[in-house]
Amino acid sequence: MERKTFRLQVMSINGTFFEGRASEIILPCIDGQYAILADHEELILAIYTGKMVIRDAIGDKIDVIVGNGSAQIANNRVIVLVDTCERPEDIDRNRAQRALERAEEEMRQNKSIREYYQAQAAMARALSRLKNSSDYGID
Amino acid sequence: MANIKEIRDRIGSVRDTMKITNAMYMISSNKLRKAKKQLAETESYFYSLQNMIARVARHLPAEMENDFLRTPDDIPYPARAKGYLVLTSDKGLAGSFNHNVVKAAEEHIKNNNTLPNYRLYVVGEYGRHYFARNGYRIEENFRYTAQNPNLDRSRDITSILLEDYRNMVIDEVYIVYTTMKNSISSEVQIKKILPVDIIEETRTKYSTIDVYNEEFFFDPSPEAVLDNIVPNFINGFIYGALVETFSSEQNARMMAMDNANKNATEMIAELQKQYNRQRQAAITQEITEVASGAKALKRAKEAKLKKQRLEA
Repeated sequence: MERKTFRLQVMSINGTFFEGRASEIILPCIDGQYAILADHEELILAIYTGKMVIRDAIGDKIDVIVGNGSAQIANNRVIVLVDTCERPEDIDRNRAQRALERAEEEMRQNKSIREYYQAQAAMARALSRLKNSSDYGID
Repeated sequence: MANIKEIRDRIGSVRDTMKITNAMYMISSNKLRKAKKQLAETESYFYSLQNMIARVARHLPAEMENDFLRTPDDIPYPARAKGYLVLTSDKGLAGSFNHNVVKAAEEHIKNNNTLPNYRLYVVGEYGRHYFARNGYRIEENFRYTAQNPNLDRSRDITSILLEDYRNMVIDEVYIVYTTMKNSISSEVQIKKILPVDIIEETRTKYSTIDVYNEEFFFDPSPEAVLDNIVPNFINGFIYGALVETFSSEQNARMMAMDNANKNATEMIAELQKQYNRQRQAAITQEITEVASGAKALKRAKEAKLKKQRLEA
């Protein structure tokens, strides 16, 4: 069966990650995951740190770990703009582990509210990277 | 005139300096190449982000309240508390690169502030020293280096600026940085990053016209989308500015070092000429001495012979 597709662009500060036709995208939102298929209604979404799944035109699955960002859906075109985005296999688990420990350390010290939020965000990023790369048996 | 040994030592020292400037030139060109690549990667993201903000701003409900929709229009311009993010480098030896940045920032501060309520966030050792020495009040615990710009650092800077902005410590945020016009000239830019101009523009432009726009649904809410997208935009902007400043610095250093190399080559050529002249003079003198010595000897011998002949 022919899949219905839409045009997808995924971009982060480190460049364009994906550009082309896709049949489905699942985005991490504040209250869970949000799947988008072709011909979706016009929508602007806030994306939060987590795992995004892209299904391309032939149905292959691509997992991506993303940071905060937003997505815009209009005229069967989806544009995803995120802070960071990586494939699970590219994640350096040691680095993520270190980042997590550093964030935990910082949160334990009674610092200003800003530093607390900063540490919290760093922790969320590190946790999401650790969790999602372990799904792949990368150790 | 200096003697031969002095000139030789001088040539040697110029050669040694040239080795250093040459190495610095190469390091800078390498770093510049890397930074340029980084910059090219961020560009498409940044433009899409700008478009997205414009689009979001166009479809925001008119009566919405949010920190990022706040405008300081009720305060007269010179009295607004302005935050300046000034990007300089850590090291000198880059021609007038740092000088241009601090001068531009200084001028803007002097011309646009009647109250001393501005805040200076300075990146780079040079700028920090300059402003401290000239009696400006700078944020003490804002300490970031200009070397190897990365996302972590721009994120930290963004969160500091955003917090001060949200807490109304500052009403506007300006960023003073250097962009490269082409490989020979760079330009200092002063840009307002908060409140975001695109949002204001689109809102004032579109709110009055009652035309049909495609309806956008915001999930979870327009506020959440704005809260997510604006920090990303600011972060993207600051990251871009950091990278661009770093590239300009490397470029300025490359040019300065190139000039230094050229000067050194010229100087060596001039010194070499002097050296040769001196050496020639010394040789000539020696020959003259030898020749006149020989002549004197010969003359003395002839005189002696004549005398012997006369006696005999």
